[in-house]
Amino acid sequence: MSIIVEVQDLVKYYGAGDNLVRAIDHTSLKIESGRFTAIVGRSGSGKSTLLHMIGGLDRPDSGKVLIDGRDIFALKDDKLAQFRRKKIGFIFQDFNLIPALNVWENIVLPLGLDGKKVDVKEVKRVLEQLGILDKLHAMPNTLSGGQKQRAAIARAIVTNPAIICADEPTGNLDSKSEMEVVSLMKKCVSDYGQTLVMITHDETIAQMADNVVLIEDGKVVSQS
Amino acid sequence: MKMVTRTAFANMKYHKSKNILTGIAIFLTTVLLFIVPSVGMNIIDAQFAMVNKVYPTWHALYRSVDMETVAGLAAHSNVGIYGLRSDMGMIPSENAEISMCYMDETGLELYRIKLQEGTFPSEENEIVVSEGMLKDLEITADIGDTVILPFQRYTKDGMDYAREKEFRICGFLPDGDTALKKHTYTALISEQFLKEEIPEEEITYRFLFRVAGDDRASVDEVEKKIKDTAEDFGISQTDIGINDDYLIANYTDPSAVPIIVMIMLVVMLAGIITIYSIYYVSMTQRVQEFGRMKAIGATRRQIRQIVLREGLCVAAVAVPLGLIASTILIRPILLFFTARADDNSMVQIYREIILNHEIFLYKWWIYLLAAAVTLVTVYLSLLIPMRKASAISEVEAMRFQGNQVKGKVRKGYRELTIGRLTRTSIAGNKKKSLITILSMSITGVFVMVVATALSCINPVESANNDIYGQYEISLNAESGNMEHPEREWKNLIRNNPLSEELKEQIEGLEGVRKVEAFTFLLGETNLEYGGEKATETIAGLPESCFQELKAGIVEGDAVWEDLLEGDKIIVKKEMLYWYPDIKVGDMIRFQCSDGVRTETRNLEVIAIGDYRFGLGEYNYMIMSKEAADQFLDEDCTGYFQVIAEENYDEDLEAKIRQLTDSSELLVVGTWKEHFDEWKQSMSLTRGACYAFLSILSIICVMNLINTMINSIHVRKKELGMMQAIGMTEAQLKKMLRLEGMFYTVGTLLVSIGLGSALGYPAFLWMKSGHWFSVQNYHYPAAAAIIVAVVLVAVQLFLTAVLSHSVQKESLIDRIRFSE
Repeated sequence: MSIIVEVQDLVKYYGAGDNLVRAIDHTSLKIESGRFTAIVGRSGSGKSTLLHMIGGLDRPDSGKVLIDGRDIFALKDDKLAQFRRKKIGFIFQDFNLIPALNVWENIVLPLGLDGKKVDVKEVKRVLEQLGILDKLHAMPNTLSGGQKQRAAIARAIVTNPAIICADEPTGNLDSKSEMEVVSLMKKCVSDYGQTLVMITHDETIAQMADNVVLIEDGKVVSQS
Repeated sequence: MKMVTRTAFANMKYHKSKNILTGIAIFLTTVLLFIVPSVGMNIIDAQFAMVNKVYPTWHALYRSVDMETVAGLAAHSNVGIYGLRSDMGMIPSENAEISMCYMDETGLELYRIKLQEGTFPSEENEIVVSEGMLKDLEITADIGDTVILPFQRYTKDGMDYAREKEFRICGFLPDGDTALKKHTYTALISEQFLKEEIPEEEITYRFLFRVAGDDRASVDEVEKKIKDTAEDFGISQTDIGINDDYLIANYTDPSAVPIIVMIMLVVMLAGIITIYSIYYVSMTQRVQEFGRMKAIGATRRQIRQIVLREGLCVAAVAVPLGLIASTILIRPILLFFTARADDNSMVQIYREIILNHEIFLYKWWIYLLAAAVTLVTVYLSLLIPMRKASAISEVEAMRFQGNQVKGKVRKGYRELTIGRLTRTSIAGNKKKSLITILSMSITGVFVMVVATALSCINPVESANNDIYGQYEISLNAESGNMEHPEREWKNLIRNNPLSEELKEQIEGLEGVRKVEAFTFLLGETNLEYGGEKATETIAGLPESCFQELKAGIVEGDAVWEDLLEGDKIIVKKEMLYWYPDIKVGDMIRFQCSDGVRTETRNLEVIAIGDYRFGLGEYNYMIMSKEAADQFLDEDCTGYFQVIAEENYDEDLEAKIRQLTDSSELLVVGTWKEHFDEWKQSMSLTRGACYAFLSILSIICVMNLINTMINSIHVRKKELGMMQAIGMTEAQLKKMLRLEGMFYTVGTLLVSIGLGSALGYPAFLWMKSGHWFSVQNYHYPAAAAIIVAVVLVAVQLFLTAVLSHSVQKESLIDRIRFSE
């Protein structure tokens, strides 16, 4: 398997003096393409910060994140945004759907931002696969948590990004929805040959991953 | 309650950005609430100071009062100090207008007359003059010198023949600026001379007095006493002169208060809308925070108090800062407004009074008022947020998911672009968008209506309305002056100086397009006014005026041929004020005479027209010049109107005066004189309107800033999310710009649309009330463009600044953002 993400000596500190928090402290990591990698660790261990930097949402104090061998933080903000929308899909714990847009619009928004034509058939296929085809015109506030997260997954995979970063996507779901959503995500990424990087607290979900990365005090302490 | 205050204080610090916004709104509200009454009261104080410095101190005068009535009035309980003045006659002069009058000692005091040097006249041949007067009379003399002066005594029919008398100059009066400019002077004579010239029983006085009684009375109360006393002695209303400016300056005048209160209410309303909208948005965001507080045991009252005290904590900082800023600003603001006075001498005096610290600008009660009204504004703005916060249920709060869009489904777009995204986001909250546009438009509409009024009150327009051409040469007609019988109308037309020759000479001057002659006929009519047959005048107009005449007809109809017939007239609308019964189809009998021939005609009113003053001037009945010339054998040309290439040309005026100077019987008037008069009287009104417009503009911009900040602040997370899934900075800016543009264009459409629609009735109201001689409607295009440019510029600037400030916060912080 080829390496899609390579984290090199990454550092991210917050605050100063007594309040200094070493969120990511000189850590390195490699993620293989097409695999499901789970990042686990205690609360405050730095896993979200690491994921955000892998996804190019946050910039490190030092170190590099290479995606397909390209240093993403060498890109200027606008170029990074363009890179993000082509290469990376995000799924958040609290869904982060745009309340003013209906399900369909939320899903095709990244395509619109990229100036791409919407392949209606393809998007509908994804929605059917996720089981929310009947909710196309529904507004986010009328959906259940599971439905919202499915819409968020659809939004993340519709641009066919190489990597999907999921930040505790099941954190707000009941246990039944939780397993469904993770299974769906896993199926989708395997169908589309995408790489899934997911933060989770859930042991069961971590066990479903191909790789598990353990973080403690801002450092990767183990990778299996 | 200590905990409540501590929580409120902590909240204030925690929600720093929102409270800074609120603080700015409270600060601006305080500044405006201080500055509005301060400017108003200080201008009034400056006016009072000026009046008390310059104006006579009598409250009222009664004209044409005989000695017997004087004795009665002196004993009346309403009359305090009183003085007498009697205008005996005039000193005839080609260069000046000089009246001769006698004043008793109290009269001199009440008029604040102080001599430059010398004493007041006591002997029969003593006179007080001024240097300007002597200069215009071409006399050089000093105190103690004797001079021979001509004088004409007033008679009940006009003026007596001129005689000469040797006077000894006993004193000099100072010359005021206006006296020197207008060449109008007063010569003071002795009582002895007055009584020698006029039999005692024929002498009438102006009875000058101050109303006795309470100094804290209102102007209305003082005026009532003046009128009641006149009624007691059978003195007619037309013989009462009230020293209004002095009274207003020294007695309570309630008329200024409602205007100031109204402006303050507008400011207060704007403050409430702005502060409320900041809190309203903040409350929606803070549902969970208050829900949590309730969950851990806070009562509804405590929650209400937390919200209120948070607002008051902000006010406790913003109000004193606002008062300090106002204290610094008030003087420069007053000087700025008075600096706009150009050559308005009154405003110049205000400016000097302010510059010389003659009035105290900082009134303690305005500080208290501004602080109190601002606090009331803050309290009123917080009422609904307080209620909302306390009504939040614990369970609802925990389930709260941020801004929710109403409706279950929406068809939406198949594909999204930045434009569609913006449209969806605006349409998602129609009510908020509509309220935002309407609240911003209220001020825009005000601006447009006031701007319409300002664009209609234009000194150029008003001067154009007053005079037909650029120069007017008219006959110096005077009735009853025995010294100048040649000025009698009948004598003037026998050898009319407004000759064809003069007309040709003027037409030959460089810069003159043409000269139009207008006929003037004076005659008795069968119309009655005040129980007597009325004397009225006909204007004979040249054909070149017909288009304007036709266009101004409001009732009936006329063709030029009708006006050539000599028995058909158009009546000016103003005539209906004096004779309300006149209607189209009525016949008016008109009889005029040149001393030899008497012509009587029945004139049919074929139309009623609404015209500018310059068209026909005070002559209410209009026909063609050709027809009017046929009435009498003499040349009845009343005035020439010179239509020149430029509104004012100093050289041309000099040349016209040179041509007319040969005859004492001609008077030259200019467009420039009318223009200068209007300019002076309009400058203060303009200043006040500009002040009001500035306040409204600040409020409007404040609202726009607030809307933009809220729109971005509240959606920080949403915008961050869009950026996370690939929205570039350029796309974000474009979206914010489009949103801002929507509010700006919406506000502009409502402001300019509704403002223009309401501006026209405002113009009609001014026109019907003859405000500033307004005749023509002018769309305030410049104001509309300025409003549009300012709004667009402010909005673009704000979008740039705000999207930049949003970018300063890291994307991840924004995505995590929730309050």
